[in-house]
Amino acid sequence: MVMAGSVCRLHPGENRLLAALPEPDYQSLLPHLELMPMPLGQAVYESGGPQGFVYFPTDSIVSLLYVLENGASTEIAVTGNEGLVGISLFMGGETTPSRAVVQSAGQGYRVRAAVLKKRFESSGDVQHLLLRFTQALITQMTQTAVCNRHHAVDQQLCRWLLLMLDRLASDEVRMTQELIANMLGVRREGVTEAAGKLQAHGLIEYARGRIRVLDRPRLERSVCECYAVVKREYDRLLPYGKRPAVAT
Amino acid sequence: MHKRLDRKPRSDSPANRVLAALPRKDYLALLPGLAPVALVFGDVLYEPGEAIRDVYFPGRSVVSLLTVVDGHAALEVGLVGREGMVGIPLALGIGVSPVRAVVQGAGSALQMSAARFRKALDGAPSLQRALHRYAHALMAQITQTAACNRFHTVDERLARWLLMTRDRLCSGEFHLTHEFLSHMLGVRRVGVTEAACGLQQRGLIDYSRGNIRILDDAGLEAASCSCYELVSDRVPASA
Repeated sequence: MVMAGSVCRLHPGENRLLAALPEPDYQSLLPHLELMPMPLGQAVYESGGPQGFVYFPTDSIVSLLYVLENGASTEIAVTGNEGLVGISLFMGGETTPSRAVVQSAGQGYRVRAAVLKKRFESSGDVQHLLLRFTQALITQMTQTAVCNRHHAVDQQLCRWLLLMLDRLASDEVRMTQELIANMLGVRREGVTEAAGKLQAHGLIEYARGRIRVLDRPRLERSVCECYAVVKREYDRLLPYGKRPAVAT
Repeated sequence: MHKRLDRKPRSDSPANRVLAALPRKDYLALLPGLAPVALVFGDVLYEPGEAIRDVYFPGRSVVSLLTVVDGHAALEVGLVGREGMVGIPLALGIGVSPVRAVVQGAGSALQMSAARFRKALDGAPSLQRALHRYAHALMAQITQTAACNRFHTVDERLARWLLMTRDRLCSGEFHLTHEFLSHMLGVRRVGVTEAACGLQQRGLIDYSRGNIRILDDAGLEAASCSCYELVSDRVPASA
């Protein structure tokens, strides 16, 4: 579990799904958890490609992106320290149509799929928790489908921003407009316009690739219901409670 | 309200693919809890937030999963036919449906109470595995829908949903009201009329008084976005 040259090593308990495991299950997984850097843009897995590992982000955020034949992409769901990346590995599904890309750099723990699958199949508690996460993820995907049909770009930008902030320990997101455009599946100009609107309303400050939220409560009131639906479902299914303290 | 059918479920290979994938002895153990029913078009099986009282394994029937948007309008986010089970949250340990489930294609299904289902699931790892695989397939379908809703035109999306319905009903003729189509596509009536007329004008379908008849399968597949093809291999084509 040692990462050479790292300055700050985050504890596995920084991933809240791992932290929520009953002690015996957590202890049995611990030796198999490997701390990995998760740099911006890294493809955690490709669509249709083999996946050997399941990832538990600690302070990184991973985007599940659907990429069309013509190269256009759109984000289907986002996962940070509240969950894991690589669901098909224990759900037994075929290859996935999306690719998982690191959207906000940081670290995460990875575990061999076979190890997690064995735990999933032998421990009722592990299975129970992972399945609840699966349902939360399904709800997020479903809401994205709805949002993509019914809501305007600036609403979708709000939703995306709030989902990101919930997974970061900050009120600031570093992201180029180009990348956000890839996430939302719109042209860069659409993002510029939407961001401009939010800035004009005093909700955010966006300069040099950094979005800072100025008025979170008002942002939550301005967003489409899609954000609240997803948040409620995650809170309901994964009642994590207080975040664990960081162990150095 | 759907009708209980006055017969026992067949003990040889079931129409539903999830059940058919089970080892024979596991399927036979489930049989006493499975009741054949005739699902009625338009029947609401679950409302969002409601406790799931029964699960359904469709035979030749189709159930539409809808989310409620902005308090009233709905959008179709998934279709469940014989490749799956209606009530997947229960297989994930959650007793409440987050979506509305409405019968879109009338036909036969096997119904099981939530209580019996939970018990059956506990005792059958094979059923758990089959349903986890199906849940994953459903996620792929929803993922496709999310991408589709972002990028594809109303005509293409209509073609896609019609083909998905055809595959699950094993029939190119079915009944779909304007309201249903409006939910499928997330557009208002005008949009539905336009899209349906578009496909009709191209000789691909016949649509009158809510009755759809697919006239040109190959043509309709060509008119659909690639989303149809990408997920269609998850539904078995033949009976």
